[in-house]
Amino acid sequence: MTRKLRILILIAALSLSFTHAVFAAGGDGPPKDMLKGVFTEIHADSNTAVFQKDGTKEIVTLTMPQGMSASDVTMNKKVLVSLDKHAGEGMIKDISVMFLDMTLTKAITLLIVGLIGGLLSGFIGSGGAFVLTPAMMSLGVPGAVAVASNMCHKFPKAMVGAYKRYKYGQADIKLGVVMSVTAIIGVQIGIKIQKFILNSFGNAGSNLYVSFVFMVVLVLVGGFVLYDAYKLSKGKNEAKVSNLALRLQQIKLAPMMHFKVANVTISAWVTIPVGLLTGMLAATIAVGGFIGVPGMIYIVGASAVVASATELIIAFFMGAWGSIQWGLSGLIDIRLTLLILFGSLIGVQLGALGTTYVKDYMIKLVMASTMLIVAVSRGALVPGYLANLDLIKPISPNVEHFLGQVSFWALVAALGSAAIIITVAMVSGMRQANRETATQLAAQVTAHD
Amino acid sequence: MILERLETYFSAATYAQCGEHETALSIMNTKSSENNRSKGGLRMKQEPVKHQSNKYIVPAIGFGAISISLYVALLMNESKVTELFTNGGWYAILPVGSAFLFSFIHGAFASNLLSALGIEAKK
Repeated sequence: MTRKLRILILIAALSLSFTHAVFAAGGDGPPKDMLKGVFTEIHADSNTAVFQKDGTKEIVTLTMPQGMSASDVTMNKKVLVSLDKHAGEGMIKDISVMFLDMTLTKAITLLIVGLIGGLLSGFIGSGGAFVLTPAMMSLGVPGAVAVASNMCHKFPKAMVGAYKRYKYGQADIKLGVVMSVTAIIGVQIGIKIQKFILNSFGNAGSNLYVSFVFMVVLVLVGGFVLYDAYKLSKGKNEAKVSNLALRLQQIKLAPMMHFKVANVTISAWVTIPVGLLTGMLAATIAVGGFIGVPGMIYIVGASAVVASATELIIAFFMGAWGSIQWGLSGLIDIRLTLLILFGSLIGVQLGALGTTYVKDYMIKLVMASTMLIVAVSRGALVPGYLANLDLIKPISPNVEHFLGQVSFWALVAALGSAAIIITVAMVSGMRQANRETATQLAAQVTAHD
Repeated sequence: MILERLETYFSAATYAQCGEHETALSIMNTKSSENNRSKGGLRMKQEPVKHQSNKYIVPAIGFGAISISLYVALLMNESKVTELFTNGGWYAILPVGSAFLFSFIHGAFASNLLSALGIEAKK
């Protein structure tokens, strides 16, 4: 098969899975038991409110549950209404105003979080999403709008980062496309598993499953990456291809694929599971890169620099797909998206150029420390979920609040510590490069004498 | 200073006329490197870098101005924009397209800004 034909087949497969994903019923897109529109009238006597749906302009009458009064219903403002399907048709569960009032403090917060998220993304290929969504929600953005707006900032950021790192000769486009195709299929499988768990064990069971997967993957993979980074930093060795990857590269099962930038020839059957797992994890914990980058390093055999750069290509495709889905449902608050983009487009380029000044193990170190601190954040929420499922004794509201705070601040710490490590590594790398240039210059001048 | 340089050139020319081209060249080189050092030769060598930084300033300001105007336009019309962009269906083109547009303009600004500040990738 000629090279061009193979690339054509890859692109066709990508477009097919892309189209399927966009038009597939369900998906990890917007929740179905949610209405978007405006309340136009309230009838306090019958505890009902007239609601005009967005887009179709269809008028429906919704019932307020016990404990909800007319003052809880926001009139003439676009709102998201969650419906309680179990309580009956048209029963309101929760109302949230779609667009928060943008104040200067909120805008500055978004700019700073965007900048640091971008820095991390440019450096390790993923990151930002795990803290941006909770950060937006804590500012008062409804969950679905926070996820949608974050998703819409992800793909342009990844595109700029991938372009920069391609220019530095680090991104492997072919590996990125192959991984994206399989990851998009993996997302579909991940969603099916999520739905099965949600239907079988309810919301608390689903939360516990997500946190459990999060912790197991992050602790195991993060711990291994940290150990590898520690070994490399101690031994002062250049990174070597892992033994597992070398063994897998020996399997000559057709179709064999050659990835030029990663400098790897490997059977497509090895890359497929890595891509599938990346997609499945993306559908479960929303950060596929935490398995995609280590997978490309230790299973496919790419270097940390190439793997993290290639992850940006995958993030671009996955982000674009997600944005179209959320956009079709009209849940993207473009102000949030663009305010995060303001900082993250600067951060992602800074992070990308930072990789040219550091050794391979530094990327692994940043990735591992981020993964392990994020694991703490998720772990703090597990007791609450276990109590919800009656698996342990109920915990007091004070303890639950405290654990919630631990979870949020651990995320902030993950982002902060990564930003500090990247900045210090980059500045010392730049200083060393300047010293080398000065020494060379001095040597040239001396040679003239 | 000028007299010194003139003297160097004359000496070099004399050697060159006698057929000793190598000696002529070495006189020129030694003298010129000495001159460079005495007048801050290293600084002269860095001049091209300075020029490179300068060439990024104009695009950085240009793209920055367009980017800021777009942000101001967005935030001044925020209620209209958020209303229109969240209609769903084909309106999805608006938020996705805007994210693309901003990434090109603001991305170009950020790239030129970093280069103008002298923060560039290791060659």
